[in-house]
Amino acid sequence: MKIVVCIKQVPETNDVTIDPHTHNLDRRGLAGVMNPFDKNAVEQALQLKAATDAEVVLLTMGPDDYAQSLREGMAMGADSGVLLSDRAFAGADTLATGYVLAQAIAKIGDVDLIIFGRQAVDADTGQVGPIVAEFLHQPQITYAATLRLSGPNEVTAERLLEDTKQTLVAQLPAVVSVRSELNTPRYPTPRNIQLSFTKPLTTWHHDDLDLDDTRLGQAGSPTIVTKVYAPTPVKRALTPLTGTPQEAASQLIKALKDRQLL
Amino acid sequence: MSTRNAAAEKLLLQMVDDYTTREVAPLDMAIDHAQDFPEGYLQQLTQTGFLGLMLPQEFGGAGFGPEVTATVLNHLARGNASTAVTLEGHYKTLDQILKFGTPALQQQLLPSATQRIFAFSMTEASGGSNPMGISSTATREGDHWVINGDKIMITNGGLAQVYCVLVKTAPTELSVFVVDQDMPGFSFGKREDFIGLRGTPVGEIVMDHIIVDDDHLLGKVGDGGLIGDSAHDDARILMGAVLTGIMEHELKIATDYAKERKAGQTPLTELQVTHRKVADIAMRKETTKLLYERAAQLKAAGQPYSEEAAMAKAHGSRAAVAAGDDALQILAGYGYSREYPVEHLIRDARAMEIAEGTVEKMRSAIATAEFHK
Amino acid sequence: MSKPELWVVAERRLDHIEPTTQQLITKATRLAGDHFHVVTVLLEATTDHLEDELQPYGPDEIRIVRDDRFPTATDAELADALKQLIDAAHPNTVLFGATITGRSIAPRLQAKLQTGLTADCLDLRFDDETLVATKPSYGDNIMCEIICPDRRPQMATVRPNTFVAQPQADATPAITTAHITFHPVARLHVTAATPVVNTATTVGDASRVVALGRGAANEDTIASATQLAEKLGGRIGVSRPLTDQDRFTHDDQIGQSGNTIHPDLILNFGISGAVQYLVGMQDSQTIVSVNSDPNAPIFAASDYGYVGDAQAFMTALLAQFA
Repeated sequence: MKIVVCIKQVPETNDVTIDPHTHNLDRRGLAGVMNPFDKNAVEQALQLKAATDAEVVLLTMGPDDYAQSLREGMAMGADSGVLLSDRAFAGADTLATGYVLAQAIAKIGDVDLIIFGRQAVDADTGQVGPIVAEFLHQPQITYAATLRLSGPNEVTAERLLEDTKQTLVAQLPAVVSVRSELNTPRYPTPRNIQLSFTKPLTTWHHDDLDLDDTRLGQAGSPTIVTKVYAPTPVKRALTPLTGTPQEAASQLIKALKDRQLL
Repeated sequence: MSTRNAAAEKLLLQMVDDYTTREVAPLDMAIDHAQDFPEGYLQQLTQTGFLGLMLPQEFGGAGFGPEVTATVLNHLARGNASTAVTLEGHYKTLDQILKFGTPALQQQLLPSATQRIFAFSMTEASGGSNPMGISSTATREGDHWVINGDKIMITNGGLAQVYCVLVKTAPTELSVFVVDQDMPGFSFGKREDFIGLRGTPVGEIVMDHIIVDDDHLLGKVGDGGLIGDSAHDDARILMGAVLTGIMEHELKIATDYAKERKAGQTPLTELQVTHRKVADIAMRKETTKLLYERAAQLKAAGQPYSEEAAMAKAHGSRAAVAAGDDALQILAGYGYSREYPVEHLIRDARAMEIAEGTVEKMRSAIATAEFHK
Repeated sequence: MSKPELWVVAERRLDHIEPTTQQLITKATRLAGDHFHVVTVLLEATTDHLEDELQPYGPDEIRIVRDDRFPTATDAELADALKQLIDAAHPNTVLFGATITGRSIAPRLQAKLQTGLTADCLDLRFDDETLVATKPSYGDNIMCEIICPDRRPQMATVRPNTFVAQPQADATPAITTAHITFHPVARLHVTAATPVVNTATTVGDASRVVALGRGAANEDTIASATQLAEKLGGRIGVSRPLTDQDRFTHDDQIGQSGNTIHPDLILNFGISGAVQYLVGMQDSQTIVSVNSDPNAPIFAASDYGYVGDAQAFMTALLAQFA
C-alpha cells in the first residue's frame, strides 16, 4: 500500500504585519514550519503504516526551503519526500496548486490513499484536497474524525458535520482530509531527525512532470489578491461603570434594562 | 566525531522548543510542588528519544555532539530545570562510558541507554569533595570483584537503573565500576529532601557484596580519579547550559511583568531601577551562555576544557541566583509568592552552586589552572 | 437581456435548512439590487419541502432539483449535480456557506469548472459584475480582497454568522424546478448518519455571550461565568488563550479563525482585546467589558466598561440578579 501525504510549509507564527508603506505582507524573519494540521495527516499515515506496512511518501510544492518540512515529516517516520519546485509554479492559487499536486501524484504512481490536513493555518482554505480528488477522479472524505482500513482495498471514516455524525466507506484509491482532533502527532525523535537525512528526498521541476503550462502558477490561477490589509476594529463611545463592583453591577443592570436586554 | 548538519540541528531545536512549550513548561510549577515528575512524564521523554540524544548512532542514539547537547538542555531548562538536570546526569555518565569503557563494555551497556537512565555516583557520607575520603571498596576475590559501600546524593539516584560507582580498589587507589539495580546486593536508600530542582531525585544506593567481573570495570584499575574529574567537567558544561535556561526563564518573567505593570502612573519599563535589574539579568544570562558554549566548542574540538567548564558552572550558578533575586524584586510581592515561579528558579539555581563541585572548588581549580599558565 | 444570476446554494442540515443559507440569501438580495437575479438552488428529496424555509428570505427564484438520493449524496455526487445546473444556466456568481459541507463541495465543483473560489469570506461586494470577496488569513490577522476577474462563475464560501438573515414581509420568490442526471459514485458510501445529540448551541448561535479571556481563566471565575450565562440564557465563549484548556474547544472560540459572532449582548471578562478578537465580536449589539487594566484595547470597542476584578464584578452581578 502506498500513501501520499500532501503538506505545506507555513510561517512559524500568524503574527504577521502589513508594511505601512508598501501595503505588502511583512513576513521577514518568520521561520517556516510544517503546517500544524498537516502533522495530523502525517501521523495518520504513520499509524496506517504501522498497521499495514504501507509506504508513506510526503509531497509538497514550494520553494527549496520547503525541504525542511519534508525532512521533519520523514523524521516523524515517513519513507521519502517529493518537493515540487519551479519558478513556473510560483504564485499559484488553490486550483493551480491542486493541478500540479495531482500531476505529481499521477507520476508517483500506484497511490492508494492521499491524506491532507484539514487546512493550512496561513491561508485557511482547505480547498486543495477536494481539488486534487476531483482532478484524480477519486472519492473524497473531508474532515475525517477517525480513519481506519476496513478491508484490503477500503477505508472507513467517521465525519462530524455540524450536527450529524456520518460513517463513510470508500474504495481505494481515495482522498481523505483529517481533522486535528483525530490524533496527537508524534514528535520526531533526535535519532529519527538524523536518520531522515539518509532517506530519499527528490525534487521535481517543471520538466519532470507532464504539465499544461496554461494551468500553472499565477497565469493558471483564476483568483487574484487585489488588496491586503490589517483589520481595524470599530470604536464605540464607552460609558464607564464606576465605583465598587456592586455599584458598577447595578449601573449595568439598569443600562441593560434601558436597552431592553433584561 | 560526527560532522555537524545544520539542517538537522535546526529541526532538532524546533522539536525541542515545541516539546518544551507543550510538554515541559506547563508542568514546571507542578513538578516543584509535587517534588516529582508526574506519572508518565519520563516515559514520554524517553519515547521521544531524549535519552539517546548524544549517544552515537551505532548504539541506537542520535549522535549529536557536545555543543548541540548543551544547547538542547539550555532550551529544555527554559521550561523546567529539573528535567534538564535529570538528562544532564544521564549524559555525563554516558560520556564516561564512551570515553573510558572498553568496546565490549560499551556494546553491553550502551544499547540500553536509550531506554534506561544512567547515573554517576561519587559522594559518600564520609567524603564529598575529597574522593580519597570515601570508604566504598571493590575487593578482588578470585576472578571477581566484590563491591561494598553506601553512596549518597546521586543525581537520579533511585530513578536510574545503571550506576557508575567510584570505589577504592586499594587504600590510595580509586576505580570506577558499573553496577545495575538488578544485581544481587544492590538496594536503594533514602531520597534527599532538597529545596531546589525538586523534580530530579537525588538519592542513595547501598551496595552489599555485589559481585562483578572485570568487564564491569570502567577504564583501568586506578583510573577513578581521572574518570571522576572527567565526569565533573562534562557535567559542568551542561549545568552552564541549564543555568542559562533558568536565566532566560527569569528574564522572561521579569520583562513580561514589567511590560504589564506600573508603579503609580509610570510603567515599570520606564523606571531606571527596572532597567538596571533587567540589564543585569540579561548580561548574566549572556555571559553564562558564552562560557558554556565555549567549553562545549573546546570539548567538540578535542581541546582541554576543564577550566572553561568550571567557569561556566561557577559563574552561571551565582549569576542565576542573583538574576532570580533581581527578577523577584521586580515582581515584588508576586515574586515572593509560591504561586509564581521565580522563587523556585532561585532554589533550582542554588543547587548548582553546590552540585558537581562547589563554587569554591571551581575557583580553586580555575586559579590553579591560571597559576600553571 | 436577462440579468446575470447570483446563486446561493442551499444547504441541508438534518431536515432543515442550515442557517447560513438564509444569511447568504439576505446578503445576496442586498448586493443584487436591480442588477442580479438572485437564485437559491435547492437539492432535495421528492418528499421534502425545504423551500418553505427559504421563501421568507426573498430570493428572486428558488430553483429546486428533486432526487431521493440527495439527502445522503456524497460531495462528488452533489458537485456533479451542481456542475450540470451551472452548465445549463451560466450563473455569474455561486455562493456557499463555509460549513463543513460547503467547504467540501465547493472546491470539488471549482475543480470541475476550472474557476476561482475564495474560502471562508467575511464580506462580499460587487464591482460591476466582479465579486470582491474579503477573506481572512493568518488566523484573521490579515484581510485579503480577492477577485476572479476572467472566469465564471466566480465562487465563494462565506463564514457562518457573518451576515444576519432577515425575512422579508412580502417575499414571493418564483419557484421553479430543474433537472439533472444523478451520477452515482460507486466507490464511496455513507453507511450511517446519526444526529449528534448536541443541545448546546455553538457560541456563534447564542444571542447572549459571556466571554472569558486570559484574565478570567481560573476555576471560580469559570464557575461564576457559567452561572451568569445560564441566568442570561446565553453561552460561554472564550478568547484564544483559553482554548488551550481541555474544557474549551475551537467551537467556543471567538475571533481568530473561530466564530464571528454578533449576539444581542456580550460580556467580556479578562479579555484585553487583540485585534482578531475585536473584529470577531464587534458586530455585537451591546458590548460590556470588565478588565483590570484600564488601558486594555477592549474598552475602546465597548459600550460599557468596568476597570476592576472580573470575579468580584461577576459575583456582584449574580447577587443582584437573584
